[in-house]
Parts: sequence; structure tokens; C-alpha cells
Amino acid sequence: MARVKVSEAEKVYILHGIRDDLRVDGRSCEDYRHMEVETDVVSNTDGSARVSLGHTAVLVGIKAEIGKPRPLVPDEGYLEFFVDCSANATPEFEGRGGEELGIELSNTLYRVFNNRSSVDLKSLCISAGEHCWVLYVDVLLLQCDGNLYDAISVAIKAALFNTKIPRVHMSSDEEGGKEVELSDDPFDCVRLNVESVPCIVTLCKVGHRHVVDATLQEKACSVASLIIAVTHRGTVTCAKKMGGGSLDPESIFEMTEAGKRVGKALHAPLMKLLQQEESLGKKRQKVGFLG
Amino acid sequence: MPTDTKRVRAPEVSQSPSLFSCGPAVVLPSHGARADGRQRDQVDVRPVFVRCGLVSQAKGSAYIEAGDTKLLCSVYGPKETERKDETDMKCGRLTTDMRFAPFSCPERGSWIQGSQDKNFSLMLQESLQPALCLHKYPRSQIEVNVMVLENSGSVQAHAITCASLALADAGIEMYDLVLGCSIRQDGSSYVVDPTYLEENNWSSSEHQGGLTVAFLPSLNQVSGLQSDGEMTEETLTAGIRTCIEGCYKLYPVIQQALVKAVRRAAPES
Repeated sequence: MARVKVSEAEKVYILHGIRDDLRVDGRSCEDYRHMEVETDVVSNTDGSARVSLGHTAVLVGIKAEIGKPRPLVPDEGYLEFFVDCSANATPEFEGRGGEELGIELSNTLYRVFNNRSSVDLKSLCISAGEHCWVLYVDVLLLQCDGNLYDAISVAIKAALFNTKIPRVHMSSDEEGGKEVELSDDPFDCVRLNVESVPCIVTLCKVGHRHVVDATLQEKACSVASLIIAVTHRGTVTCAKKMGGGSLDPESIFEMTEAGKRVGKALHAPLMKLLQQEESLGKKRQKVGFLG
Repeated sequence: MPTDTKRVRAPEVSQSPSLFSCGPAVVLPSHGARADGRQRDQVDVRPVFVRCGLVSQAKGSAYIEAGDTKLLCSVYGPKETERKDETDMKCGRLTTDMRFAPFSCPERGSWIQGSQDKNFSLMLQESLQPALCLHKYPRSQIEVNVMVLENSGSVQAHAITCASLALADAGIEMYDLVLGCSIRQDGSSYVVDPTYLEENNWSSSEHQGGLTVAFLPSLNQVSGLQSDGEMTEETLTAGIRTCIEGCYKLYPVIQQALVKAVRRAAPES
């Protein structure tokens, strides 16, 4: 992660503020920064979304390709995640510098989506054992100002909502073999149900309290953080402790409870916003990257 | 993924014969006793065989066997940091590497680490770091290498225990031992220290998941936590408590093994 150097005096200032539920930018401990979500920003993809959370900016593009299903689950499609830390974000990511962070982020995403109900994989099957849809979810980090997991998970949810998979049907050709045929109408597509896609909440332990959506300065004052992926029903699909410090079991219980509360509250406004954006259709004014 | 040019590999399209077996996949029952006779819904960890000091070249080493799971860990250091630009003036660095032997899992794995394998090494590092007094080893590096010889479930948890034993055997100063325990939640019941079959058992119940916890018993701190699958928050909390209990159960065995190793290594008085 991009690092900032924080002096001892600044650390004490941040610590004391958080102890009194007042962060440097005036937020309370469980408030998010200003978040902007926009879908359908890249026309070459089947689904895309851009999220900016404070100064963190993330772009997700999803492409659907036809592939062979995994041998153990022949009647399901699958998702492949790849996170690219672009050198635009910070000079540390130049060349192979961002590779480690990118691998860590993609592995966490695999873990978050490694369950039956987040995405209905059976709907991605075209013909069992032969053809299925593979969704390549590519995440690009444009700017890095802390709290990457939250921004990435919201962007993935928005991009999956925006994904339009072309409708296909199987037909048999002259020799009796099966062929996949795309429907003639380019706008005939299948949409995914993203109700159960989880959102990740990162809670950083600063002093004796935890904060949601930490900036880089606050992260520099914390020794350990907990990320927790929560669905709209309140089930936890992934919990992971990160950082080089240790946590008290009691604070972990407090943090999971707060994470569940904050995560659950994130879903309803997000779905409302996405549906509203969708309903505007052609009349929507695209903000893009310079707005 | 990088290709391995040193070994003669099977053709790309080769598959394990177990995929062609005719019967349906074995689904373990969610109720009743477990396959190896242990109880479910109780903190019933497998009996553990531990020995320190097996690798003569390493500064410290440990071997752990729990059921059929076999792991070997060796510790090298404190030594000079390999990459000079990462030398930290104020405290030492811990590098971990966890590898699976290709024959360790029922499906043959590859020698080259995939990106998923780095997950294990990362969790190992995050779990061990809080326990080490790294400020006592400035400008040095401590290397921990774990090799999984046989994977029969609960590998991450036992790797953490094995690594902290090896670190103690190497004489690295630590605040406390780090013990690992894992649990698999299946609907409303749980099994502690799951075997490979129990871990990969995707039954039809709604809330299924696995949880691994790394714990420092005498300081009562959790240094590592990783969960996947799907659980309610109450189940997660209860699971963490169960894993902590499992770690407390394992503690006396590990302490005894360390004492034995020290006695064996001490000069005859």
C-alpha cells in the first residue's frame, strides 16, 4: 500500500481525536468519505464501473468469455479476478512494485466470492461440461488514498450489476455436433442478480477504538485491521485480519459487530443508486473521469 | 503462471484419474460422529506429535504430525538481509515461505507457487510477526520455511504452530508461542481441526465456511484470523471462541515438546 510517514506528534493527535470519536476530517468513527459510483464508463467491456472514495479511485471492467467449465463443477461458470496496481497511483507501483499488493487483493477477492450464494454460478452455464461463461473481473487502481478493499468491492458490485451477458443458445450443426450461437439482436442480454454480492468493510484498530474507511494517515497509526465482507442479509463471507499487530478477542468481536452493521447499511443505498442510474437510461449525463 | 523448465511435465491436458471415477462425490453427513471417531460440536482436536531440532543445518526446526497432516518447518537467522534496500534500521524482518510438496494433496500440485499459495505465506507472516521481538534484531532477517509433506486438513493452523515452535527452537526471542486452530462450520454444527475431506465437503446447507485463528495463549491476543465461506456474524464470533479454546488445549503439549527438546540439547551435567 502507498505509505505516508507520520510524525509522533501527528500520531498522538490522530489517536486522541479518534478516542473522542472525532477524526481529522471531521467524520465520526463509522462514517465513510464521499463516495461516487458510476457505471458503464468503458464501452468495450460487458460491464464496468468507476468508484471514487475520497481520493481513492478504482475502475472495474468485466468481460464475459465462453470457456470450459472447471472439471469438478461442470454445471457452473466462474469468475476470475485480477487487480492491477497502476503506476499512476503511486511511484511505488512502478514496474513490478505493485504486483505483491495486486496478488494480495485478488486472493482476497477470490476468498470473498468463494461461496454459493454471492453470484449464481449455475446461471453462467451454457451446456454442462462443455461451455460456460467465464467473467473476467479486472480491477484497475487509479489513485490510492487508503481503504482499497471497500472501494474495490463496491466497484465490483456496481460493475456486475451493469454487466450485460449476450444471450446464447445451443444449436446442432450439419455433422450433429453442438454449436454455440449468439442471438442476432445485439441488445438481447442476460443480467446478473447482484443482491447477494458482498461488500467489504475495512476496520482499522487505532488506539482502543476502530475506524471505518481509514485514510493513509490513520492507517499509519494503526497496527492491525480487520476486513469483513458482508452481504445485504448480514452474513459474513470473509473475515481477515491484516497487519503486523495482534488484536484482543474482545476488540475482534466489537469490530465484527460494527463491520456487519456498517456493511449491511451500505447495500440498500447502493442498489437504489444503481437502479436509479439504470432507469435514467440514455438521458443520464455521464460524468466520466474529469467531473 | 511461469513455466517450469527444469522438470519434464505431463501434457497440459492430463487430468487426475479421480475425476473419472463413476460414483457421485462423497458428501459427508452433517450429523453424527465424524469419520475418524471424533465428536462434532466439541473442541476435539487431533492428537499431535511434535518434535524439534530435526533439521541439522537449520538454526531451529520443528516437525508436526496431526492425524495424517505432516509439516516440517525450518528457521534460518538472524542473518543479514538479502535485499539491501529493504534493510530496516530499527527492527528485524521476518520472511515466510510456505510450500506444498506436489504429492501432498490428493490432486498433484506444481512446484512453482501459484498466486493462491502466496496467501498461506502471507497469513503465516501476519500471524507470527506480533509474537517476535523483532526490535532486538535490527538490520537482520529471520527466514521461516514451512514445507507441507502431507495435506490432510487444517494445514494453515498447524503450519503456524510448527513455525512458532521452530522459532523457539532457534532461540529467537518471542513474547509468546503462536498456536493455530481451525474449524469448519457446516450449517448449524461445527467440526474442529477438520480433515481434508471435511474441509472440502460442500454439502447443501446454507451456512458453510471455514475459519482459522492464530492465538497467543498467555497474552490472550489473536494474531491471525482468516475465514471464508458464508456464516452469520454470531457463528463467526462463536467460531473464534471455539478456536481459542482449541489453542488452549494444544498449549501444554507444545510446551512439553519444547522442554523435551531443550533437555535433549543441553550438555550432560
